[in-house]
Amino acid sequence: MGAKIGIFFCTFALMSNEKYITLSQLLTNIRQTLAQAFPLGVWISAEIGSMNVNRYSGHCYMELIEKSSEGGSTTPQARVQAAVWRSRWGLLSGHFASATGMPLAEGMKVLLKVSVNFHEAYGLSLVVNDIDPTYTLGERAAQRQQTIEQLRADGVFDLNKALELPTIVQRIAIVSSATAAGLQDFMRHIEASTWQFYPTLYEATMQGSTAEESIVAALGRVAESDEEYDAVVVIRGGGSQSDLECFNSYDLSANLAQFPLPIITGIGHDRDESVADLVAHTALKTPTAVADFLVERISGFMGEAEYTYEAILTATNALLTGHTQRLERNAALISSGSQSLLRRIDVRLEGATQRLAAATTRLIDTHQARLSRIEAQVEGNNPRRILALGFAVVRAGGKALTNTEGIAVGDSLDITLADGTATANVTNISKQGE
Amino acid sequence: MEQQREMTYAEALAELESILGGFESGKADIDTLAAQVARATELIKFCRQRLGKVESDVKEAMKVEANANK
Repeated sequence: MGAKIGIFFCTFALMSNEKYITLSQLLTNIRQTLAQAFPLGVWISAEIGSMNVNRYSGHCYMELIEKSSEGGSTTPQARVQAAVWRSRWGLLSGHFASATGMPLAEGMKVLLKVSVNFHEAYGLSLVVNDIDPTYTLGERAAQRQQTIEQLRADGVFDLNKALELPTIVQRIAIVSSATAAGLQDFMRHIEASTWQFYPTLYEATMQGSTAEESIVAALGRVAESDEEYDAVVVIRGGGSQSDLECFNSYDLSANLAQFPLPIITGIGHDRDESVADLVAHTALKTPTAVADFLVERISGFMGEAEYTYEAILTATNALLTGHTQRLERNAALISSGSQSLLRRIDVRLEGATQRLAAATTRLIDTHQARLSRIEAQVEGNNPRRILALGFAVVRAGGKALTNTEGIAVGDSLDITLADGTATANVTNISKQGE
Repeated sequence: MEQQREMTYAEALAELESILGGFESGKADIDTLAAQVARATELIKFCRQRLGKVESDVKEAMKVEANANK
C-alpha cells in the first residue's frame, strides 16, 4: 500500500510540473488517494490496545494495534487511532456483547470493518462501521484451546482434580474482591446455614488487566498457610458481563491447577467454561452455588450419619427384642415344662398314695381276717359254748376226768353243766369196746 | 392293763398263736380253758383296736397328703 501511494506521489509531482507543492496540497492528495483506494471500506483484524467512550459525545475512541507474531517485543509493529461514532457504538457494542458474552475491551482481538479517514490537520484515523464478533469468538476459542493443550502438555491439567475434597469443608480461603456482590452472596448463604464455617478473605482484583496478576498473588498468600484450610474458593461478582479473559490465561490456570488445596470456582460464565473452571477441582456457576454446594455437602454427610445412626439403633433394638422374646419364650417353656413335670410327679405321687392306701387296706384286711379266724377258733374252744352243746365236765375230788381210770363204783363225782353242778354216785363202770 | 398298753401288736399276735397252738394240740387244761379263752378274747380285742387305729391313722395321713398336693 505504501509503495502504491509512493508511485502515485511521483506521478502527481511529474504531472504538476512544478518544483514543490504545499503541505496541504500533499495531504489533500493523500486524502483523495486514500478515499479512492478504499471507497467501500475494508475488513481488518487488530487488537484493541486501549479504548474509551467519551462521556459527553458518546463516541468511542480506541487505539488499534498489531503485535509482532514473533513475540518478545512489547512494542506493536502497527498502531492506529480509530473511532466508533455514537450512532454506531450503541448498536455495535450491544451486538458484540450479546454475541460473545463479553463487552469490547482492551486486549481483545477483533475483526472490524473500517473506512480509512485522512484529515489534513488531524492525520490518519479509522472509522469503525461494523464489528464481526465471530472472529473474536474464534480467536478466543483458539487461544483457549491452546492454553488447555499447553496445560495438558505440562502435565498439570488434572492435578487439582486429583486432590481429595474433604466431605466437611469448613476452613475456607476465599479469593475474591472485598466489594464483590458475589462475595456478599456467598457469605450470606454460608452464614444462614446450620453449619459453622471459618472463611478467610484473600483480596484480589477480579477483573481488568491486573486481575490475573492479582489473583495469582492472592493464591500465593493462601499457599503460605495452606495447612489452615480445607479448600480455596475463587468467586467473583455476579451478573454483569465483564471480562472473564483472565480466567482463560495460562498463568492463572496453571497456578490453580497446581495449587495444593482443592479449588472451587464460582466465577460465572454464560457459554464455555473458562480454563480456570476446567482445571479447578469443582466448578460452579455462581458464588451462591458454591456456598450451597459446601452446605449441602455437610448436610448430606450429617443426613447419612443420622440415617446410619438410626439403622444401628433399629438393628440393636431388633436384636434386643429378639433376645428378650427368646428369654420370655424360654421362661414360659421352663414354667410350663416344670409345671407339667410337677403334674407328672403329682400323678405318680397320687398313684403312690392310692397304692399305699390300697396296700394298707389290704394289710389291715388280712390282719382282720386272721383275727377273725383266731376269734372263731377261740370261740370254738370256749367251755361255755361246749357245755351249752350238752357236754359236761366230770370231776373226781376236784380234778377233771378225761377217762375212767381211777374211778370205782360208789365214788362220788361232780358233774358241771352249763348252768350248774350236780353230784352223782358211780353205779357201774363199762369201758368202750367191752 | 398297764402291761397291755405297752404290748405290741406282734407280741399280742404271738401270744394268740401260742394259745391257739395249745387248743389245737388237744392238751388244753379244761380248768384253765376259760381263762385262756378270756385272755385270747382280750388279745383279739386289743389287736382289733390296734388295727382300727392304724387304719384311721393311715386315712388321716392320706387326707393330709392329698390336701398338700392340691
